[in-house]
Amino acid sequence: MPGKIKLMIEKILSERSKGNELVEKIIRTKLILKGIDPARYTESSDDDPVIIGKLEKMMQDLPR
Amino acid sequence: MSISIASSGEATVEQAVQDLFGAFSSVSIEMLVYFASTRFDPEEISARMHAAFPGAAVFGCSTAGEIVSGSLLKGSVVAMAFDRESMLDVKVDVVTNLKRKINLSESFRSFEQHFGEAANEMKPSQYLGIILIDGMCGVEEKVMDAIGDKTNVIFIGGSAADDLRFRKTHVYANGRSYSDAAVLALLKPAATFDLVKTQSVREMGAELVVTKANEGKREIIEFNNKPASIAYAEALGVPVHELAACFPSHPLGLVIDGEPYIRSPTHISGDSVLFQCSSVKGMPLSLLELTNLIDDTRDALERSKARLGGISGVIVFNCAHRALELEYKKLTRAYGELFADVPTIGFNSYGEQCIGHMNQTATMIVFR
Repeated sequence: MPGKIKLMIEKILSERSKGNELVEKIIRTKLILKGIDPARYTESSDDDPVIIGKLEKMMQDLPR
Repeated sequence: MSISIASSGEATVEQAVQDLFGAFSSVSIEMLVYFASTRFDPEEISARMHAAFPGAAVFGCSTAGEIVSGSLLKGSVVAMAFDRESMLDVKVDVVTNLKRKINLSESFRSFEQHFGEAANEMKPSQYLGIILIDGMCGVEEKVMDAIGDKTNVIFIGGSAADDLRFRKTHVYANGRSYSDAAVLALLKPAATFDLVKTQSVREMGAELVVTKANEGKREIIEFNNKPASIAYAEALGVPVHELAACFPSHPLGLVIDGEPYIRSPTHISGDSVLFQCSSVKGMPLSLLELTNLIDDTRDALERSKARLGGISGVIVFNCAHRALELEYKKLTRAYGELFADVPTIGFNSYGEQCIGHMNQTATMIVFR
């Protein structure tokens, strides 16, 4: 299913920042430092398993 | 509410700690941070500092030069003490065996138990993290990445140093000295604070995209599908045999929202270039050139002061590269004077941290 990365990034950004713009900016920076630039992923981006693995690790620590 | 500083250049650990003890004798200390030259025996200074300030959270690390209000020192120990009104609460933990496996779960569990709040719910406006990490472990970026997954609280700090010997660095907590380890301190300051990240570089307009890398070794094998050293030299317009001489003045940076996260090259190995911070395949790195370190740092401090409306204390994690540049350009005194009017301590580090790991940067905690 192409576009999975974009969906995962959106979930991480929204659940971790809870609408706080400053926190969202910090998380975007963290993603880019991991080698995941949110701006480069669209609904049709390939599901790169390496990137998905990094995002899954990040999702483990999302607020419950 | 007070933040106090002291320094000592006494000959022995015992005398130096006695100096600091005397300077802070009137303060009811909640937290004490110190940075010490490796001239002082690591085990002894950590044990004596712990014993001298019972009841306080005492932690620190070894240096490649120390900073105290108005001066850059060598062979000294500098310390900053926070009383119970300036630091509401603090929890310190040590993560060991970093090169084997980075596991922060226990540390973050201890933070959550201490503060009664989930780490991923803590607000970065209320909490602040300090990281002091072995500067020879080579895994700072992985530790920062793991911290970033656990919490939105920003951790800022520096990589411990060893007076430019590059053999063994030390972090101090619990009255012990550790290598291959990081001290993590989670703070709840009473007043507002600001985090500063300043570097004196500008983009030259050339971009090198990492197309092949060995992250674990901090090695870039190819830029733009060419051998890394050749592509780097071409971007600079110099022959490959002159590239290494250009490294201090032309590092590379991952630029995010206009902010460079500098990766300093160390040497060429075959056709690869080795760095002091890893980069990931696909990462676009900008070629950089140096700007005025004094002016840039002054501006960064002024902007922070304007944001906060005043400054009561500064902790500086200043890259040893910057300290060498200051010495070469005979600007050491001018740099020290930037911090003359504010209680300041800091040290020259082998790497700097703020959200991520970087080089050739000064990261600072500025307290209102």
